Amino acid sequence: MSFIEIQCGDVLSSVIFIIEGELEQIPQAKAIESHLTTCTPCAAEIEHERLMHQMLQHVLQRSCDEKAPEDLHQSIHRQLRAQMAGGASTEVVTSFSMTEISIEIDEFGNVEHREIQIEQTHIQHFIDEED
Amino acid sequence: MSSKDLVLESASDRTVRFERDALVFTNQLYAAALRYTKNPEDARDLVQDTYLKAFSSFHQFEEGTNLRAWLYRVLTTTFINTYRKGQRQPQIAHNELEEWQVAEAQSHTSDQGKSAEQEALENLPDSDIKRALHEIPEDFRIVVYLADVEGFSYKEIAEIVGAPAGTVMSRLHRGRKQLREKLASYAESLGYSTNAPSKKGGRE
Repeated sequence: MSFIEIQCGDVLSSVIFIIEGELEQIPQAKAIESHLTTCTPCAAEIEHERLMHQMLQHVLQRSCDEKAPEDLHQSIHRQLRAQMAGGASTEVVTSFSMTEISIEIDEFGNVEHREIQIEQTHIQHFIDEED
Repeated sequence: MSSKDLVLESASDRTVRFERDALVFTNQLYAAALRYTKNPEDARDLVQDTYLKAFSSFHQFEEGTNLRAWLYRVLTTTFINTYRKGQRQPQIAHNELEEWQVAEAQSHTSDQGKSAEQEALENLPDSDIKRALHEIPEDFRIVVYLADVEGFSYKEIAEIVGAPAGTVMSRLHRGRKQLREKLASYAESLGYSTNAPSKKGGRE
């Protein structure tokens, strides 16, 4: 045990920082480094942790490599195209407007004036169905 | 041609660019979604939602920055906000996260324990690895997955999950530890004798 106040327990509880290569993040970094050069059990423990971490990564990567189902790829492509088509750039707006005016004069000279307005707006979205 | 024409990208050009750059990650995102949601139907929906959301905010994505990390951020946020609500999930107590460094007395493991743990890990089938991952708390599972399967740095993970870097480090530490405990217990039930790093009596 060196005169620097650090216990094996302190070193081992910082193992995550050592494994991640982020030891400098913690204030006791220097003390831990020097402890590791003299304490064989701690150095062995860290080595074991490093190895276990590598193995854990290896088995996790091996197990988690599922492929997406083929129809999921197609469905995403279709939905993206539909979403794109929903945008303003592919919107066609057709407006139609008509006003009918009629004037009638009856036998007594009364004037009757009528106005009818008809309006119609049609919005069309073009969806790309190339696939 | 005005300067506006140079900057603005047509909707169809943007779609082509998105499909070219983002859709190459479909398999990876699906595998992650399977671990997040634990079932193929939800994983499918999650990946679809992720792509649609990413696409609708793709104009905000800065080209040249990490697209993969950005997609994982959309995936993780969508999962947390949408899919997690329907699941009953015990949340991690706050103090449990902050006091992790003093949480347990650390001591050395025996050499026997070390080699037994290595052997057990090497021999466990993929189904057990996935089961163990599914059994650890969700917040731990997400960071362990992002770090150890996807290889993101803990700083990138902090961005992806929207948590402080210290919290990520703590979840990573606890998550890996719980995962190894689960795997050790499966290995024991398969006949391997591991005495590390089980909860009690595993350390000398």
